Amino acid sequence: MAELFDSPSEKNPFEELAVVYVLYFDEAQGHMPLLIYPVETYKNDKAFMRPIKYHPIWFLSLNESDALDHIDLEFKGYTFFGKKFLTKSNREKRRSGLKEETPETIVIVVSLPNKIELFGDELIRILTQEVKDKYEDKLFEIIDSEILKEEVIKSPKIQKRIDNGQAIKKQLRNSIEKTTNTFFSDVIRNSDATSIRMQKAIAYLAFRGIDVSHINTKEYKGSFSNIQLFDPNKQGEVNFIDKKPFIILKINIIEDSQEMEILVQNNSLHEVKGIIVKINHLKEYFEKEIMIETIDKWFPQEELVFISPIIPHIDEYIFFIIDEVSNEKLLSKRIDLNLLKNK
Amino acid sequence: MSDDIIKEDDIIIRNYRTSDYQATLKILKELQSKFNIGFVESKWRETSGLRQFKPNLKRITLIAELKSTGQVASMGMLEAVKNNLGQYIGYLNNWATEKEFIGKGVGKILADRATQILKSWGCEAVRINMAYRGDKKLIDIFGKVGFIPIITVLEKKFETD
Repeated sequence: MAELFDSPSEKNPFEELAVVYVLYFDEAQGHMPLLIYPVETYKNDKAFMRPIKYHPIWFLSLNESDALDHIDLEFKGYTFFGKKFLTKSNREKRRSGLKEETPETIVIVVSLPNKIELFGDELIRILTQEVKDKYEDKLFEIIDSEILKEEVIKSPKIQKRIDNGQAIKKQLRNSIEKTTNTFFSDVIRNSDATSIRMQKAIAYLAFRGIDVSHINTKEYKGSFSNIQLFDPNKQGEVNFIDKKPFIILKINIIEDSQEMEILVQNNSLHEVKGIIVKINHLKEYFEKEIMIETIDKWFPQEELVFISPIIPHIDEYIFFIIDEVSNEKLLSKRIDLNLLKNK
Repeated sequence: MSDDIIKEDDIIIRNYRTSDYQATLKILKELQSKFNIGFVESKWRETSGLRQFKPNLKRITLIAELKSTGQVASMGMLEAVKNNLGQYIGYLNNWATEKEFIGKGVGKILADRATQILKSWGCEAVRINMAYRGDKKLIDIFGKVGFIPIITVLEKKFETD
């Protein structure tokens, strides 16, 4: 999500991974952001802030949210982890019935790409603890300063309160930055080193340029993390193609007959029974089935040819291999004829 | 190889593999030169003999391989085609045997297996396309295993530029 923000000239790679929102409940304006880490560019962007302002965490009582530890919302490839708590307040409230000492409702939301969402539970727990420990008695001052910033006339006394609040906000931002960086570089301790989800998350971190090389060495025990890749000895020899039960070897367009020929191999070393092969075409947002075949037996390493008609003016197709019994999709591949023709 | 009839135990009947390409190409070329079956070399590709699936059609190329040497002795294509009445009709096409194995019963073993497969696919009948001026002896041979002539197909070739 950080790619949506303006990139600062110097940043650490972890900034790309997590966005932290600290919000409060404003008695006059509703759900308001107090601080967004790493940058606040989109603070007033309604579309960007929609998953934050309407996160289900707002609509749960503290008792409910405590019972659930935190609430997650998945939206457009990101998971938003939300946690709510009350903090001390001495701020004059702008709604009748509320006293100065009525506590502030604070919500912390951490968004992570779905690929590394498994880090979210721990990260939000650590961040919330950090904020509670160090800023529980000070957050109302930041809220006060944010509200006062909107005042047209700022007396020296008001300006002093604003400056005071902004100074605390700066400290809070630094704390969040430090906690996040520490989390990603030093604190990842996961006992489930064989988890597929963890492996995927590591792959994602590596893809985003985070150095995870330490976990692939024999000295990993001395590193910050106890995560290991499944088979460190096979470094450089791991062939991900081997792991797929079916692979598409070739796709040909037969111009004479206006057909598409898809060559697929059973990449496993055992016979596969009860397979459904389906080809759908895509028009706008709709899929239409143009071919469905049941393969009773697919022998090990056997290559099969599936020939589908090409529908005039339709360039996008989806090829599926589905287990007849479990209905599990074993392979799905989008085929764009334009890309094939331009090869 | 002796002149004896080859027994079913001496051969393996299996699906075509891409490694059979050269052997099948050789057989088909011989068939073309002898009977003008309309074979075009450039259209017989490595993948042409693989199991094929397309709407209303299934196709397999069967290979008879000698157990002792691994040599391809015979080949034949079988197809199940759905007709306008929704019935699947099986076809045996391009049935050919390497010269040195002709008359040794390999073709018959292959054809028996092919008809079993077509039956298992739910075909109503099996048809063999033969050359119109083909050998009368062949019609008699097929007649003995239940194939009788029922239709005559007329063909007009389009002139190519």
